[in-house]
Formats: sequence, C-alpha cells, structure tokens
Amino acid sequence: MIMYLLRRLFLLVFVFIALSVFAFSLAYLFPGDPLQNFTGLRQISPEQYALLTSEYQLDKNYILQYLAYLSRIFSGNWGMSFSSQQPLLQEMKMLLPATLELASYALLISFFIGIPIGILSAIKPDGVFSKLVSAVAVAGYSIPIFWWALLLIMLFSLGLGWLPTAGRIGVLYEINHVTGFMLLDILLAATQHQHEALLDALSHLILPTLVLATFPTTVMVRFTRDSILEVWEQSYIKAARAKGLSRGQVLYRHALRNALLPVIRQIGLQFSTLITLAMITEVIFSWPGIGRWLIDSIYQRNYPAIEAGLLVISTLVISVNMLTEILHTLFNPLARKR
Amino acid sequence: MQLLDIKNLTIELTTPDGLIRAVDRVSLSMREGETRGLVGESGSGKSLIAKAIVGVLNKRWRVTADSFGWRGQELSNLPYEQQRKIIGRDVAMIYQEPSKSLDPTAAILDQLEEAIPDHRLEGPWWKRSYMRRRRAIALLHKVGIRDHQSVMQSYPYQLSEGICQKTMIAMAIAKDPKLLIADEPTTALETTTQAQLFRLLASFNQLKGMSILLISHELELIARYTQSLSVLYCGQLVEAGETASIIKQPYHPYTHALIKSVPGFQPNLPPKTPLYALPGSIPVFQHLPIGCRLGPRCPNARKECVKTPALERLHNHYYSCHFPLIGNKAP
Repeated sequence: MIMYLLRRLFLLVFVFIALSVFAFSLAYLFPGDPLQNFTGLRQISPEQYALLTSEYQLDKNYILQYLAYLSRIFSGNWGMSFSSQQPLLQEMKMLLPATLELASYALLISFFIGIPIGILSAIKPDGVFSKLVSAVAVAGYSIPIFWWALLLIMLFSLGLGWLPTAGRIGVLYEINHVTGFMLLDILLAATQHQHEALLDALSHLILPTLVLATFPTTVMVRFTRDSILEVWEQSYIKAARAKGLSRGQVLYRHALRNALLPVIRQIGLQFSTLITLAMITEVIFSWPGIGRWLIDSIYQRNYPAIEAGLLVISTLVISVNMLTEILHTLFNPLARKR
Repeated sequence: MQLLDIKNLTIELTTPDGLIRAVDRVSLSMREGETRGLVGESGSGKSLIAKAIVGVLNKRWRVTADSFGWRGQELSNLPYEQQRKIIGRDVAMIYQEPSKSLDPTAAILDQLEEAIPDHRLEGPWWKRSYMRRRRAIALLHKVGIRDHQSVMQSYPYQLSEGICQKTMIAMAIAKDPKLLIADEPTTALETTTQAQLFRLLASFNQLKGMSILLISHELELIARYTQSLSVLYCGQLVEAGETASIIKQPYHPYTHALIKSVPGFQPNLPPKTPLYALPGSIPVFQHLPIGCRLGPRCPNARKECVKTPALERLHNHYYSCHFPLIGNKAP
C-alpha cells in the first residue's frame, strides 16, 4: 500500500513538472515580449527592462529561466494581471473559493440525489419509475447547459421573480472575505443581519448550483443504475441469495459496495467536465469565480492571467483525480491486488 | 421420508425465436439422507435444475412444475416469500466457480458470519457477535481449514480455489441444511483437493444425515460417491435409479453409451482400443429434435422415437425409452 502511494506521488510529481514546463513555455508561445508575459507589466522603461531581465534570468539559457520561474511560483510571485495590474495570486485567491463553492455544492447534489435515485431505479429496472428516471436523465445529460440556465432564469427570475439572476449576494450586504466561501463567511461575520444575508446568499446560490448539478447528477444516476444492474447479475449475488438473504439484505451487504466502488472513480473523471461547466455557469450568472475570470482574460488577451489560471485549474483537476484514484484503491480490495 | 419430490419440472427460455425448452418435464425425487448424482453433458440442464430448486434463475427463464414437494409439503401452493423462506432455511448450494461466488470486496469472515442464521445461536443478545465469531471459526475447522485467523481476514482473491470452495461449503453447512446441492463443486480444483472435498461431503452425509444432490459430468466420481443417480440428456431425464444397478445394467442407450465411454468401468479393455462414443454431438438449443432428443444419435432408434417416451418403472429403476436394453440386448 505504501509502495502504491509512493508510486502515485511520484507520478504526480512528474505530471506537475510537465505542467509547469508547459505553463512556462506559454510565455514564449504567446505573442508579445516574454518579459511582459512573465511579469505582467505593460510599460517597462529601458532601465527597468535590464534589471528585470537579469532578475528573471532571461539572458541565460532556458533551463535556468525555468528554474527561476519555478522559484517565483513557489515564492508566490506569479506576476501581474495585464488588465488590473494587480498581483495574480491575490486575485485568484479571491476568486477560486467561489468556483470551489459552486462546484462542491453541485458535486454534493449529484451525490446525495443522483446515487439514491440511481439505486431506486435499479430495484425495478422495467418499472415506471425507472423508465421515467432514465428519460429525465437522458434529457438532463444532453441538454446544453447555457440553454438550460437561460430557461431557468426566464422562469424563476424573470417570470416568477423568485430568484436573483446574477452574483453571489445582494449589494446590501457587506461580507468580509475570510475563507472565500460565502456561506461560511456569513456565519463567521456575526453581523446583525446575518440571517437575512444567509437567506439572500442561498437564493443567489440555488439557480447556479441547480444548473451546474444537472450534468453530474444525471451521469451519477445512469452510472449507479447500470453499475447495480451489472453487479446484480454476478454469481456472488446469486450465491448470497441462495444463502437465504432477502433482496434488501443482498442489496445492502453485497450489491451496493461492489456497485458504488466504480462510482468513486467516476467522480474524478467527471471533475474536469464539472469545472468546464462551472466556467460557463459562472459567465451566465455573473458568478465572480475563476472560470469567468479566465474566460474574460482570454477575451482581453491577458496572457499572464491565462497562464496562471491554467496552472491553477489543471493542478486542481489533477489533484482531485489522483485523490479519487487513491480513495478507490483504499476502499477496493481488488484494486490493491496489483 | 421423501425429502424432495419434483414432478415434471420444465424450464423454458424466452428468445426472439420463441420459447426454448431447456429442461423438459424432468422429475426428481430424493429421500432424506440420500446422496443423488445428477449426470449429463454440459448443456444438458443440470445446473438449471439446481438453480431452479434454489430459486436464483433470472427473470428470462420460465420455470413450471406439476408439483414441488418438500418434506411432504406442497411448496407451489405457498406464496413466494414463504417458499423462499423454507428453501432458504433448508437448502444450501455450492457452485462450480467458488472464487466468483464470493463477494470480492468483503472479507471471508463477514461473508461467513452472515450465512449463520440467528436461530442457530444460543445465548443472550449481547453475546451474539462473540458466539457468531466462535461458530464461524468452528465451521472453518469443520471443513478442514486449520489456519482460520488468516483465512477469515483474507479477501477471496487472496485464497486458492480449493480454500474458497471449502469456505463456500462452510457457509452452506452454517445453517445445517436438509439438502446440499453441489453444482460441479470440483471442476476448478486439482485432484487431491477434489478427493478431500468429496470425503468432506460424504462425512456430512453420514454424520448429519444431510442429503446431497451432486451435479457433475464425471460419471466415475458420481458412481463412487452417490447412492442413486439421475441421467439427463439435453434437458430430458433418460434414466434414474440406484447408482449400482444403473452402472451394472443400464436400460437406456444413452446411459449405456455413457458408461461404455468411461474406461474405468471396463476392466478388461485392451490397450489402444478406441473408446466407444455415440455418433454426432449434443444438439444446440435452437434445433432440438422432437420426441426423444437422443433420436438422431441413438443406435437403435426407430419410427416410434419421434414421440417422447414416458418415464417407465421397473422396480426402483426409471427409464424413458421405447426400446430399453432389457435382457442384455446390447446395441
């Protein structure tokens, strides 16, 4: 087991090195001056240029440049944003929690709604409920997310006026940025209108979470259902039935564990899709997250920001992937065999 | 006392081409404490019958029978849940691929403990889990596993097929079943383990009076370990009776051919003689012959064989053939 963990970590290190090499080379691959792309400074005077070139070691060979780049990354000097001339790391620290908040709630919904519905619909695969669930799941799976978001906005925000269309919280409330997670920050803030602020934040949260959760939830429903139906055909299930256990006992003791193990792995695989969808959702709902910021940066040709955003998001996706892989191995004795 | 009495068990599979009758009106009866062998080629429906008795066939199969008597009680009149309860309490089954019949993600101990029914444990409830563990260890010892500690903590993939099959047997006898169905229990095992397992089954039969239905395609093994025998061909029962008398004097041409094809039953067979075999091969289920299904391959088939012969009886010996080999008329 320890060997396995070490091997995984070793692989992770290599992936990160490759990733940082790619991010580093982007400064050269993007149009414009590499020094501008690295520093994010727009106007650089000749004296400053010479100073920065030696500081960034741009007069040396690529390997030394790369090492200097790495040491800057680790020391937290990620350069400036072209558009705001603010340090990128600080900017992203403000934005990333918003995206994580949205994505984690969507993931939780897909867990606590998707998996039980999948299990229920696998109990009677030919029943009305199961057919209905399958139909809804296929619809949810294939609906374009931006259209679905617009439909929901039309209905709940413009038509019924129940929910706001944009932002994380109303402008009336002032919440200090502590953790970056809005609900947590409100609970920590201890202002006198805490209760109202919480309700307001929740009402802002409902639509984006719903839109973002649609895809992973339907994936979970379909995957859990198929997984259980497949496991149900295995001979150890028949053997357990022949032991005299009831259907419920067999489902609980044998079918669920065997069927849900692949689901853990599925989370890791779905996470990259989830982040991509989160970017679209953020744009539609003006959610101040890293996805919207990255898309804006692409429009503004804000090269340092694209580079940094790419690095952060890929690191996140790869780490989550690796984590689910390790969890899967921990829980599945069969995977430990190798 | 009759333990099991099944009359005209028919198992059909619904396919796009219509209903296929995989098992055609087979009757099977067992006395208490009897060991009965069920022989037939692969695809003759042996395992289907076993699974139908235990009730673990999928929904694609349609199972019908004229009667299903269990210890003098007619089960087909009872509601489904009641049937399952009785069968689950009294019948246990072991399978041909033991490692696939164990849950790959659960430790052996958990699987063994859940096979022990509550009513087998004595003592107050707070001692239950302790008793359960004790009984699980005792069961492992009973099937000849001495190193219980490491086996109980293992997962099925860590154990050999022989150990897996032994734990399967331990699970099967955990509830002291009246009938143990062994569906080709030794196909995946090596010869020494095979012999161990059969001795184990024989000892349960003799010590506890547990009836055993032994399913196999190896006639020699069956002849050695069983008292009575049912021979299946292609889903039809061709002959049933006491093992010794069937081996000595088969009435059905198929049984005759089966026995002649085993060198062990012919002590004075000269070396390098080709073994006797029926021409042709077992038909596929889509193209079953009408009447006696052996018809096209039978050496003494006649016009009458297009009608299915009824099961006839001579003393304790049942056969279904229009032209039985009575009076030593070898074909």
